[in-house]
Amino acid sequence: MDAERGLMAKVARGDQGAFTELAQRYSGKLLAVAGRLLGSRADAEDAVQRAFLQCFAGARSYDARWAVSTWLYRILTNVCVDELRRRATRTAHDERSAAGALAAASSNHHPPAAYLDLHRAMARVPREARVLLALRYVDGLSYGELARIRGISINTVKSQLARGKSLLRAELGKRGADHV
Amino acid sequence: MYDLTDDGKRPDRLDLLLTEYFRPEMTAAHLPRRIAAAARESTTTLERFEARLGIEATARGISRVGTGPVGKPATAGARRLIEQARLEIHEYLRGQRAFFRVPVDLATVPDFQRSVLEAARHIPFGEARAYAWIAARIGHPRAVRAVGTALGRNPVPLIVPCHRVWRSDGGLGGYAFGAEIKDRLAALERTTPVLEGCTSTRIVCRVGCIHGRNMRPDNRVVFASVADARSVGYRPCKVCRPAA
Repeated sequence: MDAERGLMAKVARGDQGAFTELAQRYSGKLLAVAGRLLGSRADAEDAVQRAFLQCFAGARSYDARWAVSTWLYRILTNVCVDELRRRATRTAHDERSAAGALAAASSNHHPPAAYLDLHRAMARVPREARVLLALRYVDGLSYGELARIRGISINTVKSQLARGKSLLRAELGKRGADHV
Repeated sequence: MYDLTDDGKRPDRLDLLLTEYFRPEMTAAHLPRRIAAAARESTTTLERFEARLGIEATARGISRVGTGPVGKPATAGARRLIEQARLEIHEYLRGQRAFFRVPVDLATVPDFQRSVLEAARHIPFGEARAYAWIAARIGHPRAVRAVGTALGRNPVPLIVPCHRVWRSDGGLGGYAFGAEIKDRLAALERTTPVLEGCTSTRIVCRVGCIHGRNMRPDNRVVFASVADARSVGYRPCKVCRPAA
């Protein structure tokens, strides 16, 4: 934990090596969150890259009371949520092109067959709950950390997660999946 | 499996399934390298562009934004508007503003051109429309070329977003400040969020609202819609009124 804060201090001083190390340490987890939220590997890589660049640019405003991971997840989810907004407005403007984009996104992501049902069910979960589910399961973050990352109360975290999971159960049940 | 027992329940099968689903991806070695390289790359094209901008105003609003020489403001009100426009453009070019508040003065602009510019103002931040879309919207569907000319003579680019109008085939089309700047602006708007909430006040604002300017960076959370923000306990700002 303290080692990571030391790393951030170096990043804030403009240390490229420290920045690369930070990117190596976290890009896998960030990529998993972004990949599951955005659907395509290319978009996920873009989002992770943008998040790291913002982290680099804003390293001086990093407050050591934050865990580095929490801080990075905040930046990344900000980037991903905005990307989801952009897709939603595109859908409203042009149904046809949005459908195309969606098809392209799912074709180059290739969710493993076993998770295909889950992948589809996930699309029915409201955005905020989906973001929380991703953070919760990609890194086992606590309710407190989730609350901090999205700037909401712990009770809201709990109710959003519970609602997300019950929607997933209902969707998976509808599809006859017996594994839940 | 992580310790997910802080809710006091044992993980069930859905928990296991979700943990598998969200398993961290293998990072290809190229990504950290690409990120480091991008961090080294200069991002100053828009900053250099900003330094070249001149602004003119009347007492009613901004009348010209351009790179040529500019006249002195005639009144104190005009000077104040120029300062406001300068600040808003500065924030916009840094990805800290998703809308302009400063008024424009199009009184000397011919009627047809004014209707074209008004239509362009309705293109949402971060989106693009075709010249033909504008032509159809103002009731002159065949006047696509005239629309292009009218936009090309836009006296207040950036504030009236003629850079959001592209060719129907997806081509950039022309731009008073050159194609590179038009392309950069599109990229800028693709990466600038539109709605942000403050975690301490639980208020959601349009990016660029006066409230956001005073927000600490670690209090900033981005939302995809006002409804999303409401669903987790935020309320819309009464100053910038993001729902409207």
